Amino acid sequence: MIRGKIRGRWLAAAAALTSVTLLAAGCSGSAEGNDGGDGTSAPAAEGTATDQELVVWAGSQTPITPNFNPYAVGVLHLANGGIYESLFAYNKLQDVDPTPMLAESFEWNEDGTQLTVKIRGGVTWNDGQPFTAEDVVYSFTNDTAKPVYLEDAVAQDESTVVFSFAEPAYANEFAILGSTYIVPKHVFSEHEADSGEDAEGNALQGLVAWDNAEAPVGTGPYMLDTASNAAYTAKANPDYWGGAPKVASLRYVGIDANQSAEDLLTTGQIDWTTMFVPDPERVTSTGGFGYVNTPVDPVVLYTCSNTDLGCEGAQTDVAVRQALDAAIDRSAITEKAFVGLAQPISPTFALLGRDDKWIADGMPKESPQSADAAAAGKILEEAGYTKDADGFYGKDGKPITLTLTSVDGWSDFNNAAKLIEEQAKAAGLKVTASTISWNEFADARVSGEFELIMGGVVGTSLADPFQIYREWFTGDYTQKVGTALEPGEWNISRYDNDEVNAAVQAASETNDEAAKKEAYATVQEHIVSDLPYIPIVVNGTQTFFNTTKFTGWPTEEDMYMFPPSWQGPSSGVVLGKLGGAE
Amino acid sequence: MTGGPPGPPVTRTTSTTTPRRHDEEEPHARDTEGRPETMKFYARRIAFYAVTLWAAISLNFFIPRLLPGDPFSILMAKLQRAGGIPAGTENSIRLLLGAAEDQTLWEQYLTYWKNVLTGNLGVSVTNFPTPVTELIGDALPWTLGLVGTATIISFVLGIGLGALAGWKRGTWVDSLVPSTTMLQSLPYFWVALVLIFVFAVSLQWFPIIGAYDVFHFNGPEWSWAFVGSVLYHAFLPAVTIVISSVGGWLLGMRNMMVSTLSEDYVTTAEAKGLRPRRVFTTYAMRNAALPSLAGFGVSLGFVVAGSLVMEQVFTYPGVGKLMITAVRNNDYALMQGVFLVITLAVLAALFLMDLIYGFLDPRTRHHD
Amino acid sequence: MTDTDTTTPTTPVTRSGVRQMMPSMSGKLLAGLILIGAIVLFAIVGPWVTQDPRSSDNDALLPPQPGHWLGTTSLGYDVLAQLAEGARGSLIVGVSAGVVAILLALLFGVVAGYLRGWTDEFLSLVTGIMLVIPGLPLMIVVASYLQVRSLWVVALILGVTAFAGPAVVLRSQARSLRVRDYVSAARVAGEKTPRIIGVEVLPNLLPLLASQFLFAIVLAILGEAGLSYLGLGPNGSITWGTMLNEAQGGGALTRGAWWWFVPPGLMIALFGTGLSLVNFAIDEIVNPKLRLAPAAAKSVREARKAGKDKLGRRATPTATADPSAPAGRPESDGAAPDQKERVDV
Repeated sequence: MIRGKIRGRWLAAAAALTSVTLLAAGCSGSAEGNDGGDGTSAPAAEGTATDQELVVWAGSQTPITPNFNPYAVGVLHLANGGIYESLFAYNKLQDVDPTPMLAESFEWNEDGTQLTVKIRGGVTWNDGQPFTAEDVVYSFTNDTAKPVYLEDAVAQDESTVVFSFAEPAYANEFAILGSTYIVPKHVFSEHEADSGEDAEGNALQGLVAWDNAEAPVGTGPYMLDTASNAAYTAKANPDYWGGAPKVASLRYVGIDANQSAEDLLTTGQIDWTTMFVPDPERVTSTGGFGYVNTPVDPVVLYTCSNTDLGCEGAQTDVAVRQALDAAIDRSAITEKAFVGLAQPISPTFALLGRDDKWIADGMPKESPQSADAAAAGKILEEAGYTKDADGFYGKDGKPITLTLTSVDGWSDFNNAAKLIEEQAKAAGLKVTASTISWNEFADARVSGEFELIMGGVVGTSLADPFQIYREWFTGDYTQKVGTALEPGEWNISRYDNDEVNAAVQAASETNDEAAKKEAYATVQEHIVSDLPYIPIVVNGTQTFFNTTKFTGWPTEEDMYMFPPSWQGPSSGVVLGKLGGAE
Repeated sequence: MTGGPPGPPVTRTTSTTTPRRHDEEEPHARDTEGRPETMKFYARRIAFYAVTLWAAISLNFFIPRLLPGDPFSILMAKLQRAGGIPAGTENSIRLLLGAAEDQTLWEQYLTYWKNVLTGNLGVSVTNFPTPVTELIGDALPWTLGLVGTATIISFVLGIGLGALAGWKRGTWVDSLVPSTTMLQSLPYFWVALVLIFVFAVSLQWFPIIGAYDVFHFNGPEWSWAFVGSVLYHAFLPAVTIVISSVGGWLLGMRNMMVSTLSEDYVTTAEAKGLRPRRVFTTYAMRNAALPSLAGFGVSLGFVVAGSLVMEQVFTYPGVGKLMITAVRNNDYALMQGVFLVITLAVLAALFLMDLIYGFLDPRTRHHD
Repeated sequence: MTDTDTTTPTTPVTRSGVRQMMPSMSGKLLAGLILIGAIVLFAIVGPWVTQDPRSSDNDALLPPQPGHWLGTTSLGYDVLAQLAEGARGSLIVGVSAGVVAILLALLFGVVAGYLRGWTDEFLSLVTGIMLVIPGLPLMIVVASYLQVRSLWVVALILGVTAFAGPAVVLRSQARSLRVRDYVSAARVAGEKTPRIIGVEVLPNLLPLLASQFLFAIVLAILGEAGLSYLGLGPNGSITWGTMLNEAQGGGALTRGAWWWFVPPGLMIALFGTGLSLVNFAIDEIVNPKLRLAPAAAKSVREARKAGKDKLGRRATPTATADPSAPAGRPESDGAAPDQKERVDV
């Protein structure tokens, strides 16, 4: 009675307090983006403490090589998020402020050349040593991880780090705050002199040569327990700053065939995985599994589009690309090749639903969903092509022929390519679809020796298409055909447009939304009509999770983080929030 | 050779298809002493193997380098597909793969030979920094264990049933033989997938993946529970191999048996009044099995190569899986290592079979 | 087990002798020929009679029903139409690969075996190396190297990696035939070597060649299925192997679409069975004991059961009381002389 009333009042007060705090958190990240985070929110684990082991498939194949060095190429998924964390965690799906993790707040200076970050206090490494600003500085200044654009990182005091850049670095905010893992200086600095052999048998020096497979020291919610070449296990970190995780142990397994993974999922032997399942109802109908589909990655036809940089083929003519774009029946492709799991794409490469505010006025929101063979024909005829006796367009008696390749085994892409071949034929374009091996795919992309390839674009990690514009569309991020692209250079199409380059440069120098929108408008105007990548769909990302045993998952109602099991550092945030469902 | 479980080689369908050691060049050549001829025989065989080994190893060096693409771009493509590459990793990829000094092909070739002879097979890119010898060493026992054992089982089963069918020639048992050819013509990965679907997924009588229970064991250990788990997990893969290859042995043995039973010495044995069982085993089966034994040697050498697709379907940690991974990722060191192991295995098996055969059948030593 | 007494008749082959070499009709042969004939017919006529296998106009994953007798795939292709087109593709690959393998085996086997000396040593070395290099990995590497793989290219790859086995067999046979009287006679008479090989040696190898050829076809079709499963098959063409690959990638079994996954595998098996049955019959020409012994044994068994021996006499205690008498021997009974002769050949 009274007790109930008092408790009720306390509860109400607590609720009010929490909501006010949350509101404040939501508000303090202004549109200016000059600073963010409010310093208090931390991932709170839901559910009950449970001893049941959470079985995860993050895409590892056997043999698994124990490697938990976040700088290494073969690093295992547990390290990225479960053991090592970043300063903030960005939600790839929503336009919200980043969640503070090892940092509490950040602030840019006037012209974007200085970033001040406040570090969270009271955090310890899982070997007991205290976590300090020195560790953050080390994580950005060691030889392996130092970004090119960073001039210096300095610990101003025990809990503040100041990053300084030569040029405005707003565009690199995510790279610094959201995707760099913070490593312990006292452990990693001892391995800088490690040596080993590289692939050719030459000597390899430095942190890259170390596999960090013995009790990796991190700040994350989990620690390594055992590792074999078929699976590895983790145990909860009792001193985790966000509160000891409720799920006591994890097991990551290695599986070689997608079919096997799907079979294990349907028989309930895996609890969390993200993979392409054409018939998700079969898994969820048992009642034990939850399921979300979070499309973020655009699927496009890479075209080698720029003759100035050495591209050859009919696709170098913008009219041909535009005609192909009009001839494609995207709804049929979504339904049949992507089994209804993909989402419409915008030719502006802004993710529909998340990046809507960046789509300039006058730009088409969606690519045409149905095929328009007549429009395609018109475009070609206006460009001087004529139809021959077989019904194919061509010039000077030679019909347009294009080769479209996709990696064998990526059945959704392979099927989409086949459908495109049919649809192009109906519009008078001769496209030949074929499958190639991984090796050829990687080689062709990087060297530029191809006509059309069906491939993916990495979706941006925050609600801003800038990274795609810069890395996939600008002249700085490409090479001539025949020269391999450097790591980080993604402009596979060899597109090089001065106005786009200038606009991207302008956008990188400011944090002002209006200025960015103006710059983006220029970029979109060109890429929508030039179509160096012909947009197809936004590919689904299907995540399945066991709801009978565990709770705390990101769901449709509460998508607090990008859910895939293989994504770091977001998977670490999810792991910290899980608990038993009893 | 086509990637199936090592079935009996081409030589089995007719009784004339015994390997070269059985040709009758000078049918009336007699050799009273025996020894110089025998030495010459073995010497020639050894010379043959040595040259073949050299040629095979050289080919092993060249072939991987013919593959398109390079490890770096493949790695980048893979990592991107999984969702983006942090800056630190990009740097490390650069370091990992770009540090090669320029060596001419000939110099690389010599270095390769030096490394092979000292047992250094390099470091795998896809499983960096594990050395190739370690990877192969971990995987080889599983392949030999599963595929080797299954091949032996299907050999024994096939020979036994084939002998029985030959013994009972003309009866209804014999007419079962053609139906086993149907089993043998099924693509063996098709059989594997159907078996998994029926027995592992629908009925859930058997596990879906793994060489042992990866959900409970944290690595191989020496315990009865582990051994039991291994056997349980090996059942479906072994059944697949046996189903797909027993027909061949059966057929060959049956034909040989029927021929042998028409021989004069068998007639003599029966006329002498020996028991049927003795005639069956000592006189007929022993001789009829000789060609099959030769073929078995050859197929045992292909055990490793034949397990490729099987290991992928069952996520079995064997050498075939390493091969596929290596080819797909342009992992030169691993590819060369696995090629080398397979080649050595085949040569060793052939050589062993030559020795045993020469021992079992003295006539072979005198010819050729 | 020697092979002196199991080769074809020692009399030189003449026109009438060809008929002597044709297999006699038996149940197995008939069944084999029917299977092969039906499938070849399906491959030739099928694509004209069925729908367009590359048209995705239909609904996806329809179970077998009138209009789509084997249902549709996940993209809406008609499975029966794909099966027919696939039959064409697979048969082309199989037969071409078989031809390539046999031609190479002729060179490396027969020519090497007949000529002996350094030619033989060199050719045998190549054969030996091809035998020892792992076939499937080699195929994977070569197939990965070629971006555009037509049916013919795949057939070539399969043929080249498969000739070593038949070559070994043919070589041993050729060496054996070389010392036959008629071959020596031809040599002494001054005939040129190519003519000897072509006229004296080859015809006697015909049954063996035929058997190896049929076997190579089966291996090639299975090999193509394996390559396609790994994604290295012919691109742009439809074969039974590519159907299996797509069915597997589209999760046919787990989605219950057995009509997509089962037929291609069964077709491969049926075709292989047909070829094997024909191979049986060929075996029986090459080794007449295989044909006669079972029949003879059967008749002896029946005779024993009926209580008579071969001469029709009632069984006497002494004759049949010996429990250790094995299944009857044609020769040890008073069998008809001509039967005995044929068996003893």
